[in-house]
Amino acid sequence: MDTTLPRQFLELSLHSLKNASDRASQLNQQTIQQFNNMDALDQSLRLKLEPLPLTPSHKENIVAAVDTSTIKIGETSTGIVIAVRGANVWKQNRHYRYMRFGPFIFHVTEENKKQVYETLQRTYFSSISEHGHQGAPSLFQMPMRIASMLERWLQTMTAKTMNNGLILFDGSLTAGTAETPTHRMKEILHTARKRNNVVLAFSKMTNLRVNGHLMTDLLPEHKPPYLLETEGLRLKPPMVLLGDVYVARLTKGKLAFRLDIDKEVRPEPRVEAVENLLGNDLFAESYPETLRLAHILCTFTANEVLAMQHFVTRRFGLQIINRPDMHRLLFGLFGKGEGFS
Amino acid sequence: MKLYRKEGNIVQILSFPGETVEKGDYLLVEDPDAGRALIVQVIDVQFASIPGVLEELLRSLPDGGELIKGEDVDPLEIAPHISYIQDASLLICKIRATAENDGLNPSSCWLPSRSQSTIKKLPLPTLLKLARIDGQLPITIGGTKDSALLTIDATSLDGRLNIITGKKETGKSHLSKLLMVSLVGYKATVVVFDLNGEYLSLGLTSDGRRNENHDKIHVLTPSENFKLALKQLNLHVMLGILIHALHLPGTSAREFRRIWQALKERDSLTLRELGETIRNWNCNQHVRDALFSRYHALVNSGVFTDNMVEATSLEEYLLKTKEHGGAIIMNLRNTSSIDRQIVVEYVLARLVESLTSSKLKAVFLFAEEAHLYLRETYWDDIVTRMRHFGIFTTFITNQPDTVRENIYRQADNIFLFNFTNEHDLDVVSRAARVDAETVRSIARDLPPHHCLALGRAVRDFPIVVKVKALDVKTMGETRLFFTSAANQ
Repeated sequence: MDTTLPRQFLELSLHSLKNASDRASQLNQQTIQQFNNMDALDQSLRLKLEPLPLTPSHKENIVAAVDTSTIKIGETSTGIVIAVRGANVWKQNRHYRYMRFGPFIFHVTEENKKQVYETLQRTYFSSISEHGHQGAPSLFQMPMRIASMLERWLQTMTAKTMNNGLILFDGSLTAGTAETPTHRMKEILHTARKRNNVVLAFSKMTNLRVNGHLMTDLLPEHKPPYLLETEGLRLKPPMVLLGDVYVARLTKGKLAFRLDIDKEVRPEPRVEAVENLLGNDLFAESYPETLRLAHILCTFTANEVLAMQHFVTRRFGLQIINRPDMHRLLFGLFGKGEGFS
Repeated sequence: MKLYRKEGNIVQILSFPGETVEKGDYLLVEDPDAGRALIVQVIDVQFASIPGVLEELLRSLPDGGELIKGEDVDPLEIAPHISYIQDASLLICKIRATAENDGLNPSSCWLPSRSQSTIKKLPLPTLLKLARIDGQLPITIGGTKDSALLTIDATSLDGRLNIITGKKETGKSHLSKLLMVSLVGYKATVVVFDLNGEYLSLGLTSDGRRNENHDKIHVLTPSENFKLALKQLNLHVMLGILIHALHLPGTSAREFRRIWQALKERDSLTLRELGETIRNWNCNQHVRDALFSRYHALVNSGVFTDNMVEATSLEEYLLKTKEHGGAIIMNLRNTSSIDRQIVVEYVLARLVESLTSSKLKAVFLFAEEAHLYLRETYWDDIVTRMRHFGIFTTFITNQPDTVRENIYRQADNIFLFNFTNEHDLDVVSRAARVDAETVRSIARDLPPHHCLALGRAVRDFPIVVKVKALDVKTMGETRLFFTSAANQ
């Protein structure tokens, strides 16, 4: 396995933290929300209400999933301290296995953000992406960008090392954004296809609507598992859709998810892939267990945040200062705290 | 360690891995600005409530209960920090005293600074020194966890009511022997009601040789070397035996009083004469029958004799011990319940008599499983009237609920061995000199031969001590079937 990126993550992490040691910091935890790309779309989406019924296939297939997570663990006078972690989970011979990378902790400042971002891009991609040329992202965007980079790297590694498997991504196959450059996503999908893998991307949340209703709410009276096809979805450039979008209702219950399947895979193998997934993985509320585990394993718990705060305090001498909660301060009992704002 | 919170006299302290603190340990919470320190004792060790721990544990068990296998690439080595936080513990501590100006006071009315206070372990030798748990008449109970010796002052048992309790085979009798021998060493008079014959060999070493106390230990076995002539008894002692041990009704007791006075006037207080007089006494037939049945009980006990040569003078034994100290062991093994009560009635009455007439200064009474021979009214007597006469009792029991509640309330010292039963712990925790949480938490985890010393002897600083070994011949061991078979 190519470990250049994790090594670069580590080096940058240590370098950024060393520079932060002389600055007072405030370690308030804040989970960074993963925003959907909002898909800058036109309103031409249609949902075929005739379901594609699915029959679970028990032909043995490896199922692998990738997810990453990021969290802000504190602030300094010049920037933020963030942590990133990625997890790769696969199911083989009825057993789940995992590989976790991180946490990597970065002190990102206005001063060093460009250097951090570009160094990571160069290390992995040997070039700066089309969005990279526009300059480094804002401080606020940095955690997501670094996490996305780790996620793309994990996806690439999975696509390169697996054969005849099912690769599950968290999110959509929308590309052309700063976090998911088109050529990189294309490259990942191409690598996967070359080794006879099929990429299936599950979105936990979607904002795609048909006639004003969320498409995942428009479920026909049909016994699951099934897929609903969509058509007419067009994104505004430079965003592109590298997959075809489906609504997947894979178990009993009210939940269904947006599922993107690699566009370059022919329709028949696509359905086969979902049927193989049904026969090879466990499902709870239409969501595959492998992807759920990947998410669980990379998510930071409060205990880990405390541990990381302990680490940066001990190892790099950052002083913990509690920023007063402005809502509480100004509104007393009527202030519900910043977490509720 | 970090001070976390204080509620009443309970302090919670956050402790991290590497800071090895156990139940029973003492900690010093020093506030440098206030110039004083709290002395607290750990009564429980719990996991600290760390946010996210449940998630952490749950996510490692998603595969049908089997641990999910995998590899963590953790280049910054955060995992040890996670374990460090996860393994943090919360010490529940009781405030025992405040150390200020080289002295101690029992106050807990001030609050040390949470941010500035330093917390460190208070070694027991330092605590013993601070609390001045020593004295001029030292009795070494045993060793503490810090390898320090716990030495109490014999005077802390003088004039006091003590309880030694714990479940079977935890070492209660061993401690009582230790206290007894030490008191005898300081020339005290000790009387023991020995129910199982455990104290009979106090005068012998473990290999059967005579020890320095050999001549000071007097074993009296009823109907063998302990017999009484009626002439040795006062009427009120005899009435005590008849009423309390043999349950003689009031009317019959009045007739007995007349019979006794008549015999005394004739100077013919013998068993034979007593029997004859009852037979010929002019009284109601029912009264005569009642008196006769008690008379036969006295005769059958074997404790009474008409042969003055055979008769034992308890007073003589007591006077023997007065000069150089000594222990009178009343061997109640193989004695029936009624005979036990006869003996105990006589001994207690005789002790009170000797003490009121100032023939004796004081007596340390050790009573094993007293509920088996002590009549109802004596419990109150022992903690009030008899204590004023100079009978200082130590109760030894493995059934704490058999000792009256008021005994616990007035106990000055309690030596508590292991108990696991909630009910037993409940009973003991009623003692005035101890708090229920300490008893419940520490006593449950005491290993055999370890006791929690509570009360005046340890200046109200509960201390766990491993009772030291005593070089005396072991007696009173339970006879086993399989051990005997194996040895054959």
